[in-house]
Amino acid sequence: MAIIILPPVVEDSRPYEADSDDSMSVDSEEDVEMTGISRPHKRPRLQGNSNIGTGIVTPGEVVTDDPQWMRGHGTYMNPLSTSIIATVAGTVQKTNKLLSVHPMRARYTPEIGDLVVGRIVEVQSRRWKVDVAAPLLAQLPLSAINLPGGILRRRTSADELQIRTFFSEGDLVVAEVQSVHQDGSASLHTRSLKYGKLRNGVFLAVSGTGGSAASSSSVKGGVGVGNSASGSALAAPGGSGTGGVVRSRRQVWTVTAANGGGEMNVVLGVNGYIFISKHDEGADAASSATENVSITRMEEMVSSSIYSSQNDDISPQTRREIARLAQCIQVLVQNGVRVDEETVMGAYNASLQVDLEIGDDEDEEDEWRQEGREYLEGAKAQQILELVKQQL
Amino acid sequence: MSNQRQASSASQVPHLSPAELSYLYTSLSLPKNPIRPDGRSPTQFRPLSAETTILPGANGSARIGFADGTQAIVGVKAEVEKTVLAADTLDSRSLAQHGDALNREGEQGSAAVSGQGEWVQMSIEIPGFRDDDALPVFLSEMMRESLVGSVAGGNGDGANEMAGGLKGRLVINKRWHWRLYIDVLLLSQPLSYPLPLLSLTTHLALLSTKLPKLKSTGEEDPFFDDDWAVAEYLYPRSNTSKSSLSAAPSHPVRPPVTLLVISVGDNVIFDPNREEIAVADAVLAISITRSSESETLKLLSIRSIDPPSRLTQPGIPNSENVNMLGVSAAPGEESGGQEEVEGVWRPRRGGVKRSVIARMVKTVLGKGGVGEEVLEGLEGVEVQ
Repeated sequence: MAIIILPPVVEDSRPYEADSDDSMSVDSEEDVEMTGISRPHKRPRLQGNSNIGTGIVTPGEVVTDDPQWMRGHGTYMNPLSTSIIATVAGTVQKTNKLLSVHPMRARYTPEIGDLVVGRIVEVQSRRWKVDVAAPLLAQLPLSAINLPGGILRRRTSADELQIRTFFSEGDLVVAEVQSVHQDGSASLHTRSLKYGKLRNGVFLAVSGTGGSAASSSSVKGGVGVGNSASGSALAAPGGSGTGGVVRSRRQVWTVTAANGGGEMNVVLGVNGYIFISKHDEGADAASSATENVSITRMEEMVSSSIYSSQNDDISPQTRREIARLAQCIQVLVQNGVRVDEETVMGAYNASLQVDLEIGDDEDEEDEWRQEGREYLEGAKAQQILELVKQQL
Repeated sequence: MSNQRQASSASQVPHLSPAELSYLYTSLSLPKNPIRPDGRSPTQFRPLSAETTILPGANGSARIGFADGTQAIVGVKAEVEKTVLAADTLDSRSLAQHGDALNREGEQGSAAVSGQGEWVQMSIEIPGFRDDDALPVFLSEMMRESLVGSVAGGNGDGANEMAGGLKGRLVINKRWHWRLYIDVLLLSQPLSYPLPLLSLTTHLALLSTKLPKLKSTGEEDPFFDDDWAVAEYLYPRSNTSKSSLSAAPSHPVRPPVTLLVISVGDNVIFDPNREEIAVADAVLAISITRSSESETLKLLSIRSIDPPSRLTQPGIPNSENVNMLGVSAAPGEESGGQEEVEGVWRPRRGGVKRSVIARMVKTVLGKGGVGEEVLEGLEGVEVQ
């Protein structure tokens, strides 16, 4: 089956009935109906006391009129009145007498030490501008990268001239936030063997961590495919829309793929950018060799591949498993499950399990059906989700 | 944003690094079964949700949402308009005004088949684009062209058939006609090239479009039945007795559907997403419709869309990488130059093989091919 067309998911409003009598009365009826529908949508305002903290407020909505509350993040107060107005769409949170609105989606807010995946968007004379899904572009100075040929080498004007040979527009880098400026923009560095240019794999953008580090539940509006809330038409109705990458102990790890796929590296950027690639044995050898090599020598060994944009030879099996892992992450994000090592590995193993079950069921099915079976959606996604949720 | 607007086709292309492009291209061009980033089979579409008749004020409307969140709404509005006659026809008409009924009969017959393409107007709104930007203009013209051009071969066996295709259907009589406004609204940022989404939505909207029943006859000023329940579908449906034979399609004539097909290497891939278009060798928009007399599909038009891959940056093979010259153990042994190095992205500059184009068309049109499945799937949508 090439195409699957689903009926629309009706949320709470009644669908429009076309087959009434004549056109005039349809119009008039519809007007009545429309207002009838739209009214209950408007939540009664929280005048004053008690039930603050329920539901979702939208920007401009008065959260409360009561002067006893102090305004926190995501709110605004008119100097002439005591009412607190929401400035973001999200849920109301109360901390003692502090009232703040927690955004449903927010862009990533960089913090020192975050591991991020970014894409170079601009090359300037001594630095790169990097898209890290933050409100402002992050900068990566030329002085904050490992120059080839040794970590202690001074950066020269020759390096400045050939800045594009290190990173050029469109390249993906994995880096760490070195400092955060007054305006919230970040400075990155790649001065570690773990960081540098990314290749041999696929990139996907999902929601990342917004707001402060404590708020692991908040979601950034994903720039790319994994736009969690907008996928609601097909997302599970139970999905609360709080998925996304969260800060965790391990953001980078290696997976041994099933089906003879070899090993894969997963890089979960805190900003919601994810890169899944084939595990590079060469780098592994280099890092294992570092123990008995001096620090300058080590750099020379690694630099053989650090600025390369040539992919290694990747077997179809590995590619298949990389695609599977990428889809598992998409399933998690679209259904509002947080993304970290535990859930990703859970989803990956679940997808293998689901595949095994289906494989047993329809072994004799024709080839046409077999072809699309790697696409994880609908029922398969639900099974995976259930298995993941059991493990949590 | 500014460079997004420069090229109509390349506008949706994200900046991808040469390494990513190379990875994607190799995955998609694997012989026999390409590996798509989302695991679909080459002919598989993303699941979508569809509904029709959602706008109470329009003659016909539809909404389609893709799983990735892109949504489109199409509204069709019909308006009665006076036909501007060419001068010579006017003369002959005034001469024949007191003529007998037989004369008039003949004239009517000739008027019934001729319609004008301008009577169908299409406007597309895409967020982030002005309505005179290249992309909306190009898309709307591409879709309108196949719509207007789809002259159904029905030789008028009964008044139910659409003689002269959509254009002919719009003729009321010699002096009056319908003008059709098709307004397409993309509700979200175009995450991929929006053509298939917009085309499918327009198809459903046109299927659900109703025109009020004409009460007047012949050359009178048109006068319509007030009762919306007896309104006729723009695209006539075979009556219920016929459709009880489940084999027969309920719509003898259908609006065209435009499918987006790309080729990567020797593979043909349907419903590509943004990343897949970015590495395509060729991007084709293939318009098909079902012709009424036979059960086979008819090819209406093929448009090639400028593949954005030619604008991408080439990758640098390790052998030419300045940063790797000093390294003794450089893995890139191959000499650089023009030939392809495995794992290095080269923008596609050449054309595409004729056999690949032929295969693309065959996959769409063939018996049990993708085109049939798409039309069947769309038929399954309950058109109220």
